[in-house]
Amino acid sequence: MEFTVIDRGADVAIIQPSGRLNMVSAGRLREVIAEVVAGGRTRIAVDLAGVDFIDSSGLGALISGLKTARQAGGDLRIAAPTDQVKLVLQLTNMERVLTAFDSAETAFSND
Amino acid sequence: MTDSTQHTIRMYTPPDSVDTVHDLLEDVWTDAPSIPAGDRLRFETALIELASNVIRHADGGSGVTCTLMIETFPDRIEATLSDSGEPGNVQLAEREMPDDLSESGRGIPLIQALVDELSYDRDGSLNRWHIMRKFED
Repeated sequence: MEFTVIDRGADVAIIQPSGRLNMVSAGRLREVIAEVVAGGRTRIAVDLAGVDFIDSSGLGALISGLKTARQAGGDLRIAAPTDQVKLVLQLTNMERVLTAFDSAETAFSND
Repeated sequence: MTDSTQHTIRMYTPPDSVDTVHDLLEDVWTDAPSIPAGDRLRFETALIELASNVIRHADGGSGVTCTLMIETFPDRIEATLSDSGEPGNVQLAEREMPDDLSESGRGIPLIQALVDELSYDRDGSLNRWHIMRKFED
Protein backbone atom coordinates (compact mmCIF):
# COMPACT_ATOMS: atom_id res chain seq x y z
CA MET A 1 0.00 0.00 0.00
CA GLU A 2 1.18 3.52 -0.84
CA PHE A 3 0.21 6.80 0.77
CA THR A 4 0.14 10.20 -0.87
CA VAL A 5 -0.15 13.27 1.39
CA ILE A 6 -1.37 16.55 -0.10
CA ASP A 7 -1.37 19.80 1.93
CA ARG A 8 -4.38 22.13 1.67
CA GLY A 9 -4.54 25.57 3.25
CA ALA A 10 -3.03 26.14 6.69
CA ASP A 11 -4.00 23.00 8.57
CA VAL A 12 -5.70 20.48 6.26
CA ALA A 13 -3.99 17.43 4.79
CA ILE A 14 -5.49 14.96 2.34
CA ILE A 15 -4.13 11.45 2.75
CA GLN A 16 -4.69 9.09 -0.18
CA PRO A 17 -3.94 5.44 0.55
CA SER A 18 -4.08 3.04 -2.38
CA GLY A 19 -4.55 -0.72 -2.32
CA ARG A 20 -5.65 -2.90 0.61
CA LEU A 21 -5.99 -1.43 4.08
CA ASN A 22 -5.50 -4.59 6.14
CA MET A 23 -3.24 -5.82 8.97
CA VAL A 24 -0.24 -5.54 6.65
CA SER A 25 -0.72 -1.81 5.97
CA ALA A 26 -2.79 -0.51 8.92
CA GLY A 27 0.23 0.24 11.11
CA ARG A 28 1.75 2.40 8.39
CA LEU A 29 -1.46 4.43 8.05
CA ARG A 30 -1.42 5.11 11.81
CA GLU A 31 2.18 6.35 11.49
CA VAL A 32 1.43 8.55 8.49
CA ILE A 33 -1.52 10.22 10.26
CA ALA A 34 0.50 10.70 13.46
CA GLU A 35 3.35 12.30 11.48
CA VAL A 36 1.02 14.65 9.61
CA VAL A 37 -0.75 15.74 12.83
CA ALA A 38 2.58 16.20 14.62
CA GLY A 39 3.63 18.42 11.73
CA GLY A 40 0.75 20.78 12.48
CA ARG A 41 -1.95 19.64 10.06
CA THR A 42 -4.68 18.51 12.42
CA ARG A 43 -7.60 18.37 9.97
CA ILE A 44 -7.17 15.14 8.02
CA ALA A 45 -9.26 14.04 5.05
CA VAL A 46 -8.61 10.41 4.14
CA ASP A 47 -9.47 9.85 0.49
CA LEU A 48 -10.57 6.21 0.24
CA ALA A 49 -11.25 6.17 -3.52
CA GLY A 50 -8.12 4.05 -4.08
CA VAL A 51 -8.78 1.60 -1.23
CA ASP A 52 -10.38 -1.50 -2.70
CA PHE A 53 -10.42 -3.45 0.57
CA ILE A 54 -10.55 -2.64 4.27
CA ASP A 55 -10.78 -4.91 7.31
CA SER A 56 -11.14 -4.27 11.03
CA SER A 57 -7.40 -3.54 11.32
CA GLY A 58 -7.75 -0.79 8.73
CA LEU A 59 -10.82 0.51 10.50
CA GLY A 60 -8.84 0.53 13.77
CA ALA A 61 -6.15 2.66 12.08
CA LEU A 62 -8.77 5.20 10.96
CA ILE A 63 -10.22 5.37 14.49
CA SER A 64 -6.72 5.77 15.92
CA GLY A 65 -6.17 8.63 13.46
CA LEU A 66 -9.50 10.20 14.42
CA LYS A 67 -8.46 10.22 18.09
CA THR A 68 -4.98 11.55 17.27
CA ALA A 69 -6.44 14.41 15.22
CA ARG A 70 -9.09 15.30 17.81
CA GLN A 71 -6.55 15.29 20.65
CA ALA A 72 -4.61 17.89 18.65
CA GLY A 73 -7.74 20.02 18.26
CA GLY A 74 -8.58 18.84 14.74
CA ASP A 75 -10.64 16.09 13.16
CA LEU A 76 -10.43 13.20 10.70
CA ARG A 77 -12.97 12.69 7.93
CA ILE A 78 -13.22 10.08 5.21
CA ALA A 79 -14.23 10.51 1.60
CA ALA A 80 -15.21 8.48 -1.47
CA PRO A 81 -15.45 4.98 0.05
CA THR A 82 -15.73 2.07 -2.40
CA ASP A 83 -18.51 -0.54 -2.07
CA GLN A 84 -16.50 -2.90 0.13
CA VAL A 85 -15.49 -0.06 2.48
CA LYS A 86 -19.12 1.11 2.70
CA LEU A 87 -20.20 -2.43 3.59
CA VAL A 88 -17.65 -2.72 6.41
CA LEU A 89 -18.57 0.73 7.79
CA GLN A 90 -22.24 -0.23 7.74
CA LEU A 91 -21.84 -3.67 9.37
CA THR A 92 -19.61 -2.31 12.14
CA ASN A 93 -21.98 0.63 12.85
CA MET A 94 -19.14 3.04 12.15
CA GLU A 95 -21.01 5.19 9.62
CA ARG A 96 -22.04 7.58 12.38
CA VAL A 97 -18.47 7.96 13.65
CA LEU A 98 -16.73 8.06 10.29
CA THR A 99 -19.20 9.93 8.10
CA ALA A 100 -18.22 9.69 4.46
CA PHE A 101 -17.94 12.82 2.32
CA ASP A 102 -18.25 12.67 -1.46
CA SER A 103 -14.81 14.14 -2.01
CA ALA A 104 -11.72 14.72 0.14
CA GLU A 105 -11.43 18.22 -1.32
CA THR A 106 -14.79 19.22 0.18
CA ALA A 107 -14.57 17.33 3.50
CA PHE A 108 -13.58 20.50 5.37
CA SER A 109 -14.77 23.15 2.94
CA ASN A 110 -17.96 24.04 4.84
CA ASP A 111 -16.42 24.48 8.28
CA MET B 1 -24.62 -22.26 -11.46
CA THR B 2 -20.98 -22.65 -10.67
CA ASP B 3 -19.14 -25.96 -10.62
CA SER B 4 -17.69 -27.17 -7.38
CA THR B 5 -14.06 -26.17 -6.86
CA GLN B 6 -11.43 -26.74 -4.18
CA HIS B 7 -8.27 -24.73 -3.55
CA THR B 8 -5.76 -25.47 -0.79
CA ILE B 9 -2.58 -23.69 0.26
CA ARG B 10 -0.14 -24.07 3.09
CA MET B 11 0.94 -20.73 4.51
CA TYR B 12 3.97 -19.76 6.55
CA THR B 13 3.76 -16.35 8.15
CA PRO B 14 5.99 -14.48 7.77
CA PRO B 15 6.62 -14.02 4.84
CA ASP B 16 3.10 -15.10 3.88
CA SER B 17 0.37 -12.76 5.08
CA VAL B 18 -3.29 -12.00 4.50
CA ASP B 19 -2.20 -10.79 1.05
CA THR B 20 -1.50 -14.47 0.26
CA VAL B 21 -5.17 -15.17 1.08
CA HIS B 22 -6.32 -12.35 -1.23
CA ASP B 23 -4.21 -13.91 -4.02
CA LEU B 24 -5.74 -17.37 -3.48
CA LEU B 25 -9.24 -15.87 -3.60
CA GLU B 26 -8.38 -14.31 -6.98
CA ASP B 27 -7.79 -17.86 -8.26
CA VAL B 28 -11.09 -19.04 -6.73
CA TRP B 29 -13.06 -16.24 -8.42
CA THR B 30 -11.38 -17.04 -11.75
CA ASP B 31 -12.26 -20.75 -11.46
CA ALA B 32 -15.83 -20.17 -10.20
CA PRO B 33 -16.91 -17.14 -12.27
CA SER B 34 -20.64 -17.41 -11.58
CA ILE B 35 -20.39 -16.56 -7.86
CA PRO B 36 -22.25 -13.24 -7.44
CA ALA B 37 -20.15 -10.12 -6.79
CA GLY B 38 -21.91 -9.37 -3.49
CA ASP B 39 -21.12 -12.84 -2.16
CA ARG B 40 -17.48 -12.53 -3.21
CA LEU B 41 -17.15 -9.20 -1.41
CA ARG B 42 -18.71 -10.52 1.80
CA PHE B 43 -16.89 -13.85 1.86
CA GLU B 44 -13.51 -12.23 1.13
CA THR B 45 -14.04 -9.72 3.94
CA ALA B 46 -14.95 -12.53 6.38
CA LEU B 47 -12.04 -14.77 5.37
CA ILE B 48 -9.46 -11.97 5.64
CA GLU B 49 -10.78 -11.15 9.13
CA LEU B 50 -10.49 -14.81 10.11
CA ALA B 51 -6.98 -15.20 8.69
CA SER B 52 -5.87 -11.96 10.42
CA ASN B 53 -7.21 -13.30 13.68
CA VAL B 54 -5.31 -16.57 13.32
CA ILE B 55 -2.06 -14.88 12.27
CA ARG B 56 -2.30 -12.36 15.14
CA HIS B 57 -3.27 -14.73 17.94
CA ALA B 58 -1.58 -18.00 17.05
CA ASP B 59 1.85 -16.43 16.61
CA GLY B 60 3.93 -17.08 19.72
CA GLY B 61 6.90 -15.28 18.17
CA SER B 62 8.14 -17.96 15.79
CA GLY B 63 5.59 -17.45 13.04
CA VAL B 64 2.49 -19.45 12.15
CA THR B 65 2.01 -22.39 9.83
CA CYS B 66 -1.52 -22.91 8.63
CA THR B 67 -3.47 -24.67 5.93
CA LEU B 68 -6.32 -22.94 4.14
CA MET B 69 -8.88 -24.79 2.05
CA ILE B 70 -11.57 -22.94 0.11
CA GLU B 71 -14.42 -24.94 -1.42
CA THR B 72 -17.20 -23.71 -3.67
CA PHE B 73 -20.50 -25.50 -4.27
CA PRO B 74 -23.50 -24.58 -6.41
CA ASP B 75 -25.22 -22.90 -3.46
CA ARG B 76 -22.45 -21.86 -1.06
CA ILE B 77 -18.76 -21.21 -0.37
CA GLU B 78 -16.79 -22.54 2.59
CA ALA B 79 -13.30 -22.11 4.03
CA THR B 80 -11.43 -24.14 6.61
CA LEU B 81 -8.32 -22.73 8.24
CA SER B 82 -6.17 -25.01 10.41
CA ASP B 83 -3.19 -23.85 12.43
CA SER B 84 -0.83 -25.42 14.92
CA GLY B 85 -0.85 -22.52 17.36
CA GLU B 86 -1.92 -22.52 20.97
CA PRO B 87 -5.55 -23.49 21.60
CA GLY B 88 -7.78 -20.58 20.69
CA ASN B 89 -9.47 -18.83 23.57
CA VAL B 90 -12.31 -17.31 21.63
CA GLN B 91 -15.88 -16.56 22.56
CA LEU B 92 -18.02 -17.15 19.49
CA ALA B 93 -21.42 -16.57 21.04
CA GLU B 94 -23.11 -13.73 19.17
CA ARG B 95 -20.68 -10.91 19.76
CA GLU B 96 -21.52 -7.24 19.78
CA MET B 97 -19.51 -4.41 18.30
CA PRO B 98 -17.25 -2.62 20.81
CA ASP B 99 -17.51 1.08 21.74
CA ASP B 100 -17.38 3.53 18.85
CA LEU B 101 -13.83 4.68 19.54
CA SER B 102 -12.37 1.26 20.33
CA GLU B 103 -9.58 0.38 17.90
CA SER B 104 -10.08 -3.39 18.06
CA GLY B 105 -12.68 -6.06 18.81
CA ARG B 106 -14.70 -5.81 15.58
CA GLY B 107 -13.22 -8.82 13.75
CA ILE B 108 -15.37 -11.66 15.12
CA PRO B 109 -18.70 -9.75 15.11
CA LEU B 110 -17.92 -8.57 11.57
CA ILE B 111 -17.35 -12.18 10.44
CA GLN B 112 -20.65 -13.17 12.07
CA ALA B 113 -22.44 -10.44 10.12
CA LEU B 114 -20.97 -11.68 6.83
CA VAL B 115 -21.35 -15.47 6.88
CA ASP B 116 -24.03 -18.01 7.78
CA GLU B 117 -21.73 -20.18 9.88
CA LEU B 118 -18.59 -19.55 11.93
CA SER B 119 -17.19 -22.35 14.04
CA TYR B 120 -14.02 -23.27 15.91
CA ASP B 121 -12.84 -26.59 17.24
CA ARG B 122 -9.65 -28.12 18.53
CA ASP B 123 -8.67 -31.19 16.50
CA GLY B 124 -5.73 -32.97 18.18
CA SER B 125 -2.97 -30.35 18.13
CA LEU B 126 -4.70 -28.17 15.51
CA ASN B 127 -7.04 -25.22 15.78
CA ARG B 128 -9.66 -25.53 13.07
CA TRP B 129 -11.79 -22.60 11.95
CA HIS B 130 -14.65 -22.91 9.50
CA ILE B 131 -16.85 -20.37 7.75
CA MET B 132 -19.69 -20.87 5.28
CA ARG B 133 -21.76 -18.42 3.26
CA LYS B 134 -24.87 -19.34 1.26
CA PHE B 135 -25.23 -17.45 -2.00
CA GLU B 136 -27.92 -14.84 -2.34
CA ASP B 137 -30.59 -15.76 -4.86
